[in-house]
Amino acid sequence: MELREVASTPALGPLFARAALTQRGRGGALPAHGLLLAAVQVDRAHLLDYQHLCRFAGGDVLPHTYPHVLGFPLQVALMAGRDFPLPLPGLVHLENRITVHRRLTADDRLDVTVHAADLRPHAKGQLVDLVTEVDVDGERVWEGRSTYLRRGRGDANAVAPQSSPPMPQGPPAGVLRLPEGLGRAYAAVSGDVNPIHLHALSAKAMGFPRAIAHGMWTAARTLATLGPEASEPSTSEVWFRKPVLLPSTVELVVDDSGSRTVVGLRSGREGVREHLVLTLDVEAGA
Amino acid sequence: MTGAYAGFVNSAVGTKLAAQLGLPRPVRLRRYAADAPLVEGPVLVAGLADAPVAEHVRTLLSDEGVEVVDAVPAGSRLGAVVLDLTTVTEPGDLDLVRVVLAPAVKALRASGRVVVVGADPASATSVAQAASRRALEGITRSVGKELRFGATANLVLVAEGAEANTDAAVRFLLSGRSAYVDAQVVRVGPGTPAEPADWALPLAGKVAVVTGAARGIGASIADVLARDGAHVVCVDIPAAGESLARTANRVGGTALQVDVTAADAGQRILDATGRHGGLDVVVHNAGITRDKLLANMDESRWDSVLDVNLGSILRMNEVLLGENGIRDGGHVVLVSSIAGIAGNRGQTNYAASKAGVIGLVDALSVDADLVRRGISVNAVAPGFIETEMTAKVPFATREVGRLLNSLSQGGLPVDVAETIAWFSQDANAGVTGNVVRVCGQSLLGA
Amino acid sequence: MAASAKPRRAAVIGGNRIPFARANSTYAKASNQDMLTASLEGLVARFGLAGEPVGEVTAGAVLKHSRDFNLTRESVLGSSLAPTTPAYDVQQACGTGLEATVLVANKIALGQVESGIAGGTDTASDAPIAVNEGLRETLLALNRAKTPGQRLKAVARLRPGQVVPEIPRNVEPRTGLSMGEHMAQTAAHWGVTREAQDELAVQSHRNLAAAYDRGFFDDLLTPYLGLTRDQNLRADSSVDKLAKLKPVFGRGDGATMTAANSTPLTDGASVVLLGSDEWAAERGLPVLAHLVDAQTAAVDYVTGHEGLLMAPAYALPHLLERQGMKLQDFDLVEIHEAFAATVLCTLAAWESESFCRDRLGLDAPIGALDRTRLNVNGSSLAAGHPFAATGGRIVASLAKSLEERGSGARGLISICAAGGQGVMAILEAA
Repeated sequence: MELREVASTPALGPLFARAALTQRGRGGALPAHGLLLAAVQVDRAHLLDYQHLCRFAGGDVLPHTYPHVLGFPLQVALMAGRDFPLPLPGLVHLENRITVHRRLTADDRLDVTVHAADLRPHAKGQLVDLVTEVDVDGERVWEGRSTYLRRGRGDANAVAPQSSPPMPQGPPAGVLRLPEGLGRAYAAVSGDVNPIHLHALSAKAMGFPRAIAHGMWTAARTLATLGPEASEPSTSEVWFRKPVLLPSTVELVVDDSGSRTVVGLRSGREGVREHLVLTLDVEAGA
Repeated sequence: MTGAYAGFVNSAVGTKLAAQLGLPRPVRLRRYAADAPLVEGPVLVAGLADAPVAEHVRTLLSDEGVEVVDAVPAGSRLGAVVLDLTTVTEPGDLDLVRVVLAPAVKALRASGRVVVVGADPASATSVAQAASRRALEGITRSVGKELRFGATANLVLVAEGAEANTDAAVRFLLSGRSAYVDAQVVRVGPGTPAEPADWALPLAGKVAVVTGAARGIGASIADVLARDGAHVVCVDIPAAGESLARTANRVGGTALQVDVTAADAGQRILDATGRHGGLDVVVHNAGITRDKLLANMDESRWDSVLDVNLGSILRMNEVLLGENGIRDGGHVVLVSSIAGIAGNRGQTNYAASKAGVIGLVDALSVDADLVRRGISVNAVAPGFIETEMTAKVPFATREVGRLLNSLSQGGLPVDVAETIAWFSQDANAGVTGNVVRVCGQSLLGA
Repeated sequence: MAASAKPRRAAVIGGNRIPFARANSTYAKASNQDMLTASLEGLVARFGLAGEPVGEVTAGAVLKHSRDFNLTRESVLGSSLAPTTPAYDVQQACGTGLEATVLVANKIALGQVESGIAGGTDTASDAPIAVNEGLRETLLALNRAKTPGQRLKAVARLRPGQVVPEIPRNVEPRTGLSMGEHMAQTAAHWGVTREAQDELAVQSHRNLAAAYDRGFFDDLLTPYLGLTRDQNLRADSSVDKLAKLKPVFGRGDGATMTAANSTPLTDGASVVLLGSDEWAAERGLPVLAHLVDAQTAAVDYVTGHEGLLMAPAYALPHLLERQGMKLQDFDLVEIHEAFAATVLCTLAAWESESFCRDRLGLDAPIGALDRTRLNVNGSSLAAGHPFAATGGRIVASLAKSLEERGSGARGLISICAAGGQGVMAILEAA
């Protein structure tokens, strides 16, 4: 695949704005090229901001989800491009899968590449994967696959994506309080200034009753509760269900009885509103 | 792990190379998993004449609950084949290889195993016997190249009377632990192996030192030794302390910040193991690269690589292998490199140090004092392993290195670590003076 | 333990700290919890305590956010120590780290715990910013309001001036003077010269640099956020260079205190592992030294005409009398360099016949200290001084130095603290 190198992290505000105004989704195939951000040097101040906001331990070890934040601007740049078949506004982050091949630290120089893959039908529209890969000196150290849904005319016969394990039941292991300003705080750290996250008013303009939390913040915050093992070789998968409106209080439910840990976020009376299910597999001895 | 494979095969050079080589898709290799059986599927065990090793293999397999068969069962695929040819005396005997292996190889599962057992040609009593024994090496290496889907073939050479010492080697080669060990010759000698109480924890109660443990292969070695039951003293330079602490806490071991080139490094390491009651395993893993063509090689590049990779080991061994050092029956494991065997452009200094490591193994493994104390000395020679160190090689060389081997992929740090953990087993005491390549049968330096 | 039996002595097994960083630099974004956790992680790794509990962890911070109400316990939970390890916070200004050590040691001596970790952390970069007192009262009123009318009334009290935040200042609440201004007065009183202060500062840098060069800190320190040495250290420091600096505290010709002979604002954390001899022996852990005795004193700096940082001078006679020792009996002495002048004033006071007679009630002066025994591995002027972290730094370094000198070697620690307080302790090599 052709990789087009970008000199620096793209600013996302103008990309979202342009996409909102001009993009209609042209159909056709996925872009044949990927984007490369080479030799990224982690900014320790930014890393600590991220660690604090998501409640990871503050230090030199990159959290499981941190490289996603480095790759996300490339995802948006690719999806906002003229040759991207689906319109960026309205794409829903449905699933995310991350594999950490080895512990990463702020000393590592990261080559971050993003490409689109597997445009495919879904019962409620179309799915596409944005694949983020991180190499250090040629070694593949981290991989992420973000699955987005474009709602539209669906294909009832489409192969259903792998479903999540069931939501853990029982009393909550913890309660997370998400303040009203969380979306703005995470936008400042991640660059994801999608208006649905920033303010009730901008969210309303996009059809939401209130601002909603960034899915990847909820995933990161959930992973942070599982301790430092998630920064070691491991694989996580998260299935996003209902968005978390801001502000709100959600319950964390954990099932660690099996070989992999399953965590859920839920809210509402009796926890009927399910927000996400996340699994974490820690590689033993590797 | 595919690395930049996708990008590479689509590059101009890559497309051409990939087409010419008919590169297959790399398969996911079978590696160690806590709950996995030793081998998946039945194992065909066969042998020539009274086949003395085959009997041991049958016993160990049934102990592990693995089904043993005499022929390829209809409609079923084999997990492995073990062929005992220790008794070959003339070339005609070799036909058994064709007869047994031909159908077996066809029925081999993905990540299957072929283990050929022979006797040492050097101890042959006739010319024909020596030739026939040596022929097994050619057979194994060729089979390795023919096997597909992550299957490997290795040869175990048994010294006279050491038939009972092969268990640890056979177990290792059959298991997922040897995923990236292909077409190697393992020599099993006398020694007095001690079977562990639990094969799942072959290093239980042992104290191991790993240098260069903060990250990369060293961190993987610490992981695997700890997984196998050892207490690991993790050593690295003070500047790597934050990562080192992370490794140590992850494996429940201890961190020791010391530069291996320091004059007192050996003593400080020994002092640190004292609190655990002694030292059983030393893994000299710390190493650096400072590449430059010889014509442009400066003194500091030369000296630093030779001192860290070789000089420091010699100095530390004075203390670590001394009278108050490693316990009798202990194990010393060194890390060589394919560069030390085949050489590598821009790495005269590195290759010197890594070839030197092999010389060190050769000498120490026959050192009268160490032999008397039953201390084994072995080395691994990693081929293309996905780490920061190999990453320093130029891109094209790296991509070719990744693919030019029988398994069509780079190895992982854990593959090197598994071989080191195997060298560290008391059950493996018969194996000393070996240099085992963890290279997926790389074409480089073969 | 029989009632008459002498309590056992707590063993100093070892320590760990992160390199100290200048404020608003490398650790600018790191919180106290981050740094204390990192220090604990290094200690746990050094002594192989992952997954194990210790009797208790006691630590603190001088500048603390309200969210850090349970700072030490939270740090323990974020570390590899067993989550069953209890913890609590203490605070005694710059004496925090040493006082925490004494607390843990006393519990060990009494047999209430077998092991413990003492320490401290401070960040001058991530200091809590308090809301203005008027705004705070308005917000609290708003929070208490139950009816819309009450709410409106509370909000109506808001004034623009209330929105200005208050940044904590290094100022004594009762005098309004900064610690440096207090120290300048004391320095003038004792006639401490600029040259003497600069020489002490240079010696501190040289000693610390030499300690790094000989690998002294290899088992006392774990790098953090890419920093491997104390950021403030200037190995090439010289009296000539220091002489060029302008004074920052004091007035007129008598002003002698500069940025170089005063400690800079610093971020960092340190911890010390303590245990009973039995606990250490069971684990094969080394015992570097034992904590022999400790004394805290306070002076009336508000109305009593004593210098703010002179309390250690008053603590020493108690220790000497209890232990039947002279100052000159100590092989090593660590006097925390809050300012170079602090050390020099304290030494001058002990040499002064009138001070020792009139203030300490002694028949004879305590006498001079052999300066080659003072702060041999550098102190706060070179390393920096993250307030609560200094005690742990000194205890671990001194214990190791004493151990190097051999069994029975004795060392004295002196740390002055805000509020006119001073903490002292005696260690003896095992």
